[in-house]
Amino acid sequence: MTSTETTPSREAPIQPGDVLLSIENLRACVEENEILRGVSLQIRAGEIHALMGRNGSGKSTLSKVIAGHPAYTVTAGSIHYRGQDLLAFSPEERARSGVFLGFQYPVEIPGVSNLEFLRVSCNARRQHRGQEELDTFAFEDHVRETMAIVQMDPAFLERSVNEGFSGGEKKRNEVLQMALLEPLVAILDETDSGLDIDALRIVANGVKRLALPTTATLLITHYQRLLDAITPDFVHVMAEGRILRTGDKDLAMALEERGYDWIDETDGSDVRQP
Amino acid sequence: MSNATQFRSRLWLETLLQTLARQPGGGVAGQRAGDCDWDLPSRRSEAWRFTDLRCLTRLDPGRLHTRTASPHWPEAVRQAPSGQGSPLRLCLQLDSRGHWLSPQGEPPPWPRGLMPLANEDITPGQVARTLMPAGPLPLGARLNSVTPGPSLGLRVSGPDFIHLDLGIRVEQAQAWLAPHVLLVLEPGARLCLSWHVAVTAPAAVLPMVEARLGLGAQLEEAAMTWGCPEAAFLGGSFVHQSPWSVYRRTNVTWGWGLSRDEPFIRQCQGRAETHLHGLAVARGQSLLDTHSTVYFDGPAGRLRQRHQALADDQGHSVFNGRVVAPRLAQETDAGQLSRNLLLSAKARIDTKPQLEIVADNVQCTHGATVSCLQDDELFYLQSRGIGRDQASRLLQRGFCEEILQRLPEAALSWPPLRSLLETPTPDQP
Repeated sequence: MTSTETTPSREAPIQPGDVLLSIENLRACVEENEILRGVSLQIRAGEIHALMGRNGSGKSTLSKVIAGHPAYTVTAGSIHYRGQDLLAFSPEERARSGVFLGFQYPVEIPGVSNLEFLRVSCNARRQHRGQEELDTFAFEDHVRETMAIVQMDPAFLERSVNEGFSGGEKKRNEVLQMALLEPLVAILDETDSGLDIDALRIVANGVKRLALPTTATLLITHYQRLLDAITPDFVHVMAEGRILRTGDKDLAMALEERGYDWIDETDGSDVRQP
Repeated sequence: MSNATQFRSRLWLETLLQTLARQPGGGVAGQRAGDCDWDLPSRRSEAWRFTDLRCLTRLDPGRLHTRTASPHWPEAVRQAPSGQGSPLRLCLQLDSRGHWLSPQGEPPPWPRGLMPLANEDITPGQVARTLMPAGPLPLGARLNSVTPGPSLGLRVSGPDFIHLDLGIRVEQAQAWLAPHVLLVLEPGARLCLSWHVAVTAPAAVLPMVEARLGLGAQLEEAAMTWGCPEAAFLGGSFVHQSPWSVYRRTNVTWGWGLSRDEPFIRQCQGRAETHLHGLAVARGQSLLDTHSTVYFDGPAGRLRQRHQALADDQGHSVFNGRVVAPRLAQETDAGQLSRNLLLSAKARIDTKPQLEIVADNVQCTHGATVSCLQDDELFYLQSRGIGRDQASRLLQRGFCEEILQRLPEAALSWPPLRSLLETPTPDQP
């Protein structure tokens, strides 16, 4: 398909069902405030998980802690990624080794061209995998081909990173980055927020296309509409820094109908760990 | 300044003026040296309180010379003889006698629309003094006007856009170069003037540009000045704007031990447009100082000014943006922004908007920010596998890019500027 496939990856092969991410009793705080109060979650290759919950329940914090945001301090628990202590890795090492966070609010970086940013990040991941880095011309071919996944106008390559992009364009740019970095675990933090119906369909199709039997996806969302397009294997509901309940796609539909109060009224005894 | 320091400074200036007077054509300078009734500015003066002149006064006045090297013209420019194939583009470099010659060392083939002025029509400071009738000229202009040497005087006419590239390269210590350029743009004339200055030895470059813009004339000035830590740059642009004229100036400076840039623009009857964009990259112990003045001497003038500075290590950036709108400057529309990136605990930024507004129907805005690299931007890049150092360099370069993108396209092919684009911390040109 592209020149990126010419060099084999030196990443150890993954079989469907292998545990990629294992979170045990994770507690984390920002400044003095504890946000995560004992999160446990296991994600295997080939799985799509959805994480739902009220605003402030800790969903985004969990995603940022996994990605290594320096504002958060892990006070207890562990995260293992393919058997390795992920918390010992710097944010860039996590990304290079295949952990991807799609931002809820992608950052605008004036003056840094989107094309160069994408090339540098793509090459960082390729270098980690033992693949040949792409020069400017080879990368441009590769990125233009990849942009078709999210139906993105190549003109966005010439602009500064996310600067002046609409909400939908920023989210498409996130999925484009995901496609270029080929992560093993993709965490998408409210990728559906701010998208119109067409943009949601395009982004959802892009995410579905990138979900492979050897990769895993964690979708953080408030809405059933994304889960109509991408069927999750597991749906988790977070509240007050913990996963209160786990189910399948029916749980998301029940939430849509009955709201989070319904979760509060139950004792969480039917929690099912994947 | 202590008495001993003041004495040393005075002695240095007197010796300098006497040396300049002995140079060929130094008669006028000699007379002025004899009448020397001025001193180097001291840091007691508000305008000079942050500016240490030691980088200049470390030069030995008794050993000064004017030897230059051939600028490293980009391949594409060097291979295209001036005046042939590109009749509206002219590249000139300063030789050791103060003459401007083509990169091939020949007298310039003046393109249509550019006409040299007679020497007797050119006196250094002739425009500057009309713009600043009261008070002394800035130090750089003063030193320029007492340094003997031929001026480059040009009359620009016709509707074609003419590109004039001036290159100066200094590789020998103790060089003292004070090029003077006088431009007279006739109504409707258009000129793009690009300076490329590179200095790799303890030396001083003191260029002075004076320009008169006729009705509706357009002057774009781009200055890319790169120096080494022992070199000093004192530059000034003095621009007289007639109504409906447009003056755009983009200045990029880095590497100097001392740089003091003092553009002074006067919109003489208002209704003109001025755009000033500056980028200063102060690393090591570099001190980069910009003192600009835009004076609206009539109604409905417009200014857009943006100065950006990046200070790292023990670098120091100074910006003073003076905007004057007297009572007759009604309906002036002026906007000024100073953005600064402070990257080290020992680096320093001093920035000051200086708005002197008397007219009551004007729109004058100003803003100044000093910040370090944003954590959320760094994390975003890191979360894509980019190491913290590389992310930091990318962000710094992005910061610079906002000004660099305003340079003429051809300017970006100069090797020192390319190195600034590749890594924002170049130590060598």
